[in-house]
Amino acid sequence: MKVVGKNVIKIDAFKLARGEPVFTDDFTRQGMLYAKVLRSPHPHARILNVDAAAALKLDGVVDVIWHRDVKAIPHTRAGQSYPEPSPYDTLILSPKARFIGDRVAVVVAESVAQAIAALDHIVVDYEELPALTDMDQSLTNSEILIHEEPDPRGISEAGMTNIAARIDKQVGDVEAALKECDLVVTRDYHLPRVQASHIEPHISIAWVDEDDRLIVRTSTQVPFHLRRMLARILEIPEARIRVIKPRVGGGFGDKQELVVEDLVGVLALRTGRPVRLEFTREEEFVAARYRHPQRVTMTTGVMKDGTIVANRMYVLADTGAYGSHALTVQGNTGQKVLPMYPVANIHFKMDCVYTNNPISGAFRGYGAPQGCFALECHMDEVARELGMDRLELRKKNHIKLGDTDPLSAKLGEGKEGLVRVVKSTGLEKAIELGCEAIGWGNKREPSAAHLKRGLGMALAMQGSGIAGVDWGGATVKLNDDGSVNLSVGATDIGQGSDTVLAQMCAEELGIPYEKVIILSSDTDLTPFDVGAYASSTTYISGGAVVKAAAEVRGQLAGVLGSHWECEPEDIVFSDGMVTGPGDQSMTIAEVALFALYKAMIQPMATASHMSNDSPPPFAAQFAEVEVDTETGQVHLCRFVSAVDCGTVIHPKMVEGQIEGAVAQGMGYALFEEVLLDRTGRVLTPDFLDYKIASSLDVPEMVTILVPTDEPTGPYGAKAAGEVPIDGPAPAIVNAICDAVGVRMFRIPATAERVWRGLKEETR
Amino acid sequence: MNISLNLNGTATDWEVAPGQTLLQALRASGAFSVKLGCETGDCGSCTVLLDGQPVNSCVVPAARVNGSRVTTLEGLLGDDLMIRLQTELVEQGAVQCGYCIPGMLISLYALLKQGPPIDEETIRHALTGNLCRCTGYVKPVEAARAVAAVLEETS
Amino acid sequence: MWKLQEYRIATNPAEAVALMRKGPGKGAYIAGGTDMLLEHPACDFVVDINRAGIGDVARTPGGDLFLGAAATLQELVGNEFVTGFAGGAVSMAASQCGNRPVRSTATVGGNLCNALPSADMAPVLLALDATCYIADEDYQESLPLTDFFVGPRLTVLEDRLLVGVALPGECAGWRCASHKLTRTAEDISLVQVAVALGVDDGRIQEARIALGAVAPVPMRASLAETMLTGQEIAAITPDVMGDVAAIAAGECDPLDDHRASAEYRRDMVSVLTRRLVTRILSDDGDNSQDGAA
Ligand SMILES: Cc1cc2nc3c(=O)[nH]c(=O)nc-3n(C[C@H](O)[C@H](O)[C@H](O)COP(=O)(O)OP(=O)(O)OC[C@H]3O[C@@H](n4cnc5c(N)ncnc54)[C@H](O)[C@@H]3O)c2cc1C
Ligand code: FES
Ligand code: FES
Repeated sequence: MKVVGKNVIKIDAFKLARGEPVFTDDFTRQGMLYAKVLRSPHPHARILNVDAAAALKLDGVVDVIWHRDVKAIPHTRAGQSYPEPSPYDTLILSPKARFIGDRVAVVVAESVAQAIAALDHIVVDYEELPALTDMDQSLTNSEILIHEEPDPRGISEAGMTNIAARIDKQVGDVEAALKECDLVVTRDYHLPRVQASHIEPHISIAWVDEDDRLIVRTSTQVPFHLRRMLARILEIPEARIRVIKPRVGGGFGDKQELVVEDLVGVLALRTGRPVRLEFTREEEFVAARYRHPQRVTMTTGVMKDGTIVANRMYVLADTGAYGSHALTVQGNTGQKVLPMYPVANIHFKMDCVYTNNPISGAFRGYGAPQGCFALECHMDEVARELGMDRLELRKKNHIKLGDTDPLSAKLGEGKEGLVRVVKSTGLEKAIELGCEAIGWGNKREPSAAHLKRGLGMALAMQGSGIAGVDWGGATVKLNDDGSVNLSVGATDIGQGSDTVLAQMCAEELGIPYEKVIILSSDTDLTPFDVGAYASSTTYISGGAVVKAAAEVRGQLAGVLGSHWECEPEDIVFSDGMVTGPGDQSMTIAEVALFALYKAMIQPMATASHMSNDSPPPFAAQFAEVEVDTETGQVHLCRFVSAVDCGTVIHPKMVEGQIEGAVAQGMGYALFEEVLLDRTGRVLTPDFLDYKIASSLDVPEMVTILVPTDEPTGPYGAKAAGEVPIDGPAPAIVNAICDAVGVRMFRIPATAERVWRGLKEETR
Repeated sequence: MNISLNLNGTATDWEVAPGQTLLQALRASGAFSVKLGCETGDCGSCTVLLDGQPVNSCVVPAARVNGSRVTTLEGLLGDDLMIRLQTELVEQGAVQCGYCIPGMLISLYALLKQGPPIDEETIRHALTGNLCRCTGYVKPVEAARAVAAVLEETS
Repeated sequence: MWKLQEYRIATNPAEAVALMRKGPGKGAYIAGGTDMLLEHPACDFVVDINRAGIGDVARTPGGDLFLGAAATLQELVGNEFVTGFAGGAVSMAASQCGNRPVRSTATVGGNLCNALPSADMAPVLLALDATCYIADEDYQESLPLTDFFVGPRLTVLEDRLLVGVALPGECAGWRCASHKLTRTAEDISLVQVAVALGVDDGRIQEARIALGAVAPVPMRASLAETMLTGQEIAAITPDVMGDVAAIAAGECDPLDDHRASAEYRRDMVSVLTRRLVTRILSDDGDNSQDGAA
């Protein structure tokens, strides 16, 4: 292959490195207004009245809106395919505040400063209500109802309990199987609330253009879902909305959600002026989305020889005040994780409850990091109880080529799914190479007496898009000079999908990569795509690009076939040249001129691609830690990731995905945690207290790509974006246990928690 | 209040509010390479040079730079060292979403300007104020090392 | 956005104090602003002291090390006088305070005047017997740094200006090291301990143990210091060391907060004190390295 598999220059890298004005906010329009949200100081309160008279008298204040000013149309803010599997439990502005930080009113003013100043002058009449901020209490308490709307759609037990979503699925008979096992191990694992912390905050600018259409320039992962959702809640036709996605400064799932766009939309329509709303970092921590905090109970039944017979996973999760992704994230916790050990008896059950806490949602890995943490720590626990080697236990039981994912038929994206069979796997190889790289089996000596070293590992699998649901389109158009316009709905948010898709397009057309001009995500100009989530872009959108490019190639071959009087199939496209079976040959530019001016056709095609498969990428990840036995501090010395993502389209970008995921996963393991007080108030609303890894924190990283050829993927590719974030936390925590014998059932494994564990151990 | 500064080599007058930050003033003046990520001095997407030193412009009062030299990425686009750094970062695959990159470039530029010896440790220390959520810092550090190695050879 | 009416710039200490008192309304000094721009204290005007001539670092003829209040932390990291004093312990502490770009403007004076229990420059300066120099409009006053802190976010200054701190020449040869315990590499202190020992003739002649983030103000552990003072190095067995560390831990008064529990902080005072003293004593020559790593 000429372009696929090569480290071409990332298509947008130079303009980004020059600091060009390419992000949402690097743009102003005449007469722009600035919005600010007034947020609830109470975890649970009815908003009886909002008096904005004083605020409206202030200099520069143009408008203040609250729930009386917008029509109550229940919806979900989760940016998912229609019909969204998340409950319709949200209003643009609600008569009830459900967490500290919930929207109460919105100000627009001529400047940010004026908008902020106005917030202090809005008088709100609240009727405080008792609140629930503990998920166990939410599960049992039905006296306090967080959502009591009369007509909710999709809430599991609407009006009766606080359960937003639940799943209970079984293959085989776990209860019966456990009775036959030699050993049954049960443990609870506790997962924290963590935040995506993309460095660019949420930001949107909306205006009404000269054709009376609403233009929304926004930092989003889901432009097309956004257009559809906005049309419904703003009650204007989709035809009147255009969503433009410029460069996005990171999303990680947090921008798969309608967080600010509805407000700028409403306000631009009301005022007739451009309106901008940008979150502060504090608002990111209070009002964006979190990885769902969970408690996962794992029960595993094994035989003496290490054969796993049954696995049961029970998940209790906190969705916060609204049920964004409540069903599907928690579904993934089981669905994406349990198939790693495809035993005959599997039971997956989950309850996802509302609380008066800030809102959980999508975050890279989408439920799998929680499940993977529980399962992979549990494998170490089972091995320890069995007295078996933890690597051998995994090798004996993990999923292999040709195996059927036992859960796939029962659990899809919020509904029944499609049967998944493993058609490509590099897991064995990944384990082998990873072990070698970390030096599995020979622990190095610690560097001082109070330090202890340990090694840990974890296996992970994910999917490549959502089978039978995710799809995308691509349009390929050839220009006079042999360059190609590639338009895709697929949404580049920094992960580099524009580059990967351009590579595939160039490969298929046999032209240099530099000839591809890509346009991504403008609802007026590009075909549809579900957006950047579920690791779908390379696999799904890539499929569409390959089809469209192949069709254009076919059109050209057809034209040339008659011109050269040969079979179109005998014409070869390679290296920017098109050659026939005789000695006919033209450059792609000559072909383009010929097609456009002699044959008079526009070589162009649009193709769509969907897959009924979601082949799992695999990862084997290994950590080496040094634990300070007196302070409890954990130093992550080395981290090895061996990842099978099918054919590697762009090695450096895949490595970059993995390295970034390791840094995030390390934070999950060791220090990231959004802390709330008893009323659900965020105690860590900034990077001073919510620590993410800096250049000094990350370990020495070894990243190994283990290519396989996935028969259903474009050029044999699978996904890579999410799978590497699953393993770091369990691998690190397993390494801590290996070092000091303390099992951290709760992460992050902060120094103080490890210190406590050590003290309890010696007691 | 009115202040005068040297912005990217050009004498510039600004009308600033006493409580305004340098970040706000720079973006208002069109220096869009200076990004807002936290406004608490932690993330470094707003890093610029103040009299040659890297600062996080969100925690520098605009009024303070009266009489000073302020350099943003825009002012270094023609600089050989900066071009070398940009090229290396791009070629090593260190640019993902790119939001942190201008700030990171400024910090690395300030470090490399000091001249050799510059090892991985010094590079990592120089980047403590530049949070990147995408790359895990592996490729940015590799890129900076490559440039440092070239400088070492040619010095 | 910070609501501020006026930004005044002082060109000398007396003028700074005068501008501060001139009114109308409430004023505050501003140096680097790295605390103030986060906290946006309610005031009508600020007095910028970066050009008031108090940013120098110097060695006095008597050998004292003078750190101007407006000297930046980055200056302290690299300045030869500072790196050459007491094994470079002050440089080391400065290099762990904040991140690189913040250190370009953050000042030592601002760090002390903000008077957080966790002010990272305080322990090492306390351990090296720092004296503060304070300016009024027409006189200067000096007092030990131990008396400077009055409570959390409160100093003796009122509307006077901190001009700088001086470390006595005698301390230049002390062995000093500090350790900042944090969650990640770049973080606010959970606990900080600084130890300085004047060793002569195989005996500890002078001992200072200073603690940060474990009491309402940065403090000295004087009981533990007394235990060490006069001790022969050879007589400091692990048991003795354990006692000293336990006493230091007993002297502090930490809080429970979301960063760490009081119990943990107290135990860390003990661990870090023991490690620092042990390390300093077992070390001859270069003792600038971060003690407990
Ligand atoms: C990202 C980041 C990280 C940080 N990390 C740390 C850290 O690790 N450890 C740490 O201790 N701090 C840290 N800080 C806080 C801060 O940077 C330091 O305390 C710094 O030294 C303050 O100095 P400044 O000159 O910026 O103070 P300013 O903000 O200018 O002033 C702070 C206070 O001191 C007063 N003041 C300043 N100078 C004088 C003077 N000469 N006389 C009288 N009053 C005066 C001011 O009125 C104000 O009340 C951090 C800050 C940021 C933004
Ligand atoms: S915006 Fe200035 S450091 Fe983050
Ligand atoms: S490249 Fe995205 S934050 Fe650094």
